[in-house]
Amino acid sequence: MTEGPTLRSLIGEHWNLARTLRKLEIRFDPERCSGVWECYEVCPVDCWEPDYEGSVVIFHHGERCIACGACVLQCPEGAIELEVPGG
Amino acid sequence: MATVFMKWLERRPQDYDRGIQLLTLGKLGSLQAQIVHHLIFEETRVLEIGCGTGELTLIMAQAGAEVTAIDISPPMLAEAERKVDQAGLADRVEFKVLDAALVGDHFDGGSFELIVSSLTFSEMTTQVRAYVLKTCLTLLAQGGRLAILDEVLPEKLAARLFYSAVRIPLRFLTWLLTRTTTHPLRDFTTTLSHAGYTTEVIASELGGSLQLMIASPGKEPGGMAFPRTVLGRLQHHTSLRTLLIDIWATFFRILPPYPKIEPGLYAVGRPDPNSVVLVTGNFDLTVRRLVQAIEGKVSAWVLVVDSAGINVWCAAGGGFLNAERVIGALRVSELEEIVHHRDLILPQLCANGVDGWLIRREASWEVHWGPVRAEDLPDYLVAGKDKTDAMRWVRFPLKDRLEMVTATLGFYGLIILIPVAIFLRELFWPIFISLVGLSYFYAVIHPWLPGRDGLMKSLPLALIALAGLATYVLLWEPLPWPRIFNWSLGLIGLSVFTAAELQGMSPRMRGEQANWGWEVIIVAALGLTYWLVPQALGWR
Repeated sequence: MTEGPTLRSLIGEHWNLARTLRKLEIRFDPERCSGVWECYEVCPVDCWEPDYEGSVVIFHHGERCIACGACVLQCPEGAIELEVPGG
Repeated sequence: MATVFMKWLERRPQDYDRGIQLLTLGKLGSLQAQIVHHLIFEETRVLEIGCGTGELTLIMAQAGAEVTAIDISPPMLAEAERKVDQAGLADRVEFKVLDAALVGDHFDGGSFELIVSSLTFSEMTTQVRAYVLKTCLTLLAQGGRLAILDEVLPEKLAARLFYSAVRIPLRFLTWLLTRTTTHPLRDFTTTLSHAGYTTEVIASELGGSLQLMIASPGKEPGGMAFPRTVLGRLQHHTSLRTLLIDIWATFFRILPPYPKIEPGLYAVGRPDPNSVVLVTGNFDLTVRRLVQAIEGKVSAWVLVVDSAGINVWCAAGGGFLNAERVIGALRVSELEEIVHHRDLILPQLCANGVDGWLIRREASWEVHWGPVRAEDLPDYLVAGKDKTDAMRWVRFPLKDRLEMVTATLGFYGLIILIPVAIFLRELFWPIFISLVGLSYFYAVIHPWLPGRDGLMKSLPLALIALAGLATYVLLWEPLPWPRIFNWSLGLIGLSVFTAAELQGMSPRMRGEQANWGWEVIIVAALGLTYWLVPQALGWR
């Protein structure tokens, strides 16, 4: 039988999780965007803005992002990722 | 800090093994061995529904079976896969993340000589259970059998009393240690016979509460009374039950057990085949608020998906509510037989965990992301499923802030105030008033405090608290300097705690997960100084 998590391992894991969570940023590849605007449709904090002329979407309010991951999951082209910059 | 607590609540595969071991007092293994002994031969084709961490999977594969093992939980499957790989039996077992309700879609009729399920049927709702049993009839090959190992409620009164007396404390203990629990099946042989099986109990343990049943398809399959797929009409109402739930939810919403309703398809108003279909989770409060928001304005079908009784946002974020769950609920409710369209309206706030494209692709239902708040649904529907930006973006008005502060205070109040009542009784009321006062004050001024980080927001809050202390000292009671200093430490600690913890309640921020570490360190340092220094110096 494997041992369960210790308090120490839980705290360590969460310390790292918290660091990651603070740093996560959206990386958006406009080249792959097909303009379905699902990201705009699901973002609860107004990060995305449809570009009606170019039939794509613009990531215009990165500072509002709460790293919920909804746009990442709903993008059919995989054009959006949540990453720690440089890491 | 809440995060660590929630993490602790999260069940891990290893915890599950330990929990089940404890709950069944180690007897599950011997019954699983009997399955292998009686029913597994070289190359028996087996489907295991709900393999969990793969204990049974492993011994069946060792005995020569060709096993297809499914489970809804990827971490559990990963643990099972690890065990099987370690035993060098990877080529005998195929693992699949799959909801039990979807087995009919993924395997051909007559594919299996044996379908086994250990402690899984008891986890299903009545409706899912009946649906899965019906599907198993078609999946079994000629002469195939179903082996079910599960917890059942004993039928005789004495046995039932004994069962409860032993079970309840054991369950509580197990839950505390491992967050694992089980639910007994009631009258399962009758369910099986309704589904068209002849059943034989071939072994039992723990006073008959853990049974191994072998069910064979009857001569006349399909003679079962499949329950109507619409579970009932949801109406807004107030009763003693809703009152008690409301009181609980007001103060202790973040603590389990979460009040939930039976998942399935419901009607609101008088829906017809053209009415809209709204999807939601099975947290009691969510469903009631949804009904309250649309009743009298819209007639709709409401598909309540099992989200473990958690609100849709947290359930989707935590992996409890996902596309597979929604597809499973669609299958079980046979919704395509009831409505003439293929449009689902999902709450926008579950988009962080429910893959809309998977539902479109696998189940051929169109997914529309509805408004964030249920009260916007009538306008959204009148506008032809057109969402304005105001419906799309989360708001956090005063009413919501006060509600969330109260819900978190119930829990944190207990964590802080019980130790205070024991160790610092003479300071109970000052600390109580400071904590409650700071929390509500914070909720009121929250939008005007600078920064998005709870720790940043705690600075002005601490300054305001210190100003309050200064006013108190100047106007009412002049305190000696050391005490003023000590009180200041305490108030700064409480401010940091309040601001950082309650930041997690805001839907506009990255939760308190992001800075809980520093918060705990600062609060612990200030709290200990506040408590220990006066003791060491003998002021108290």
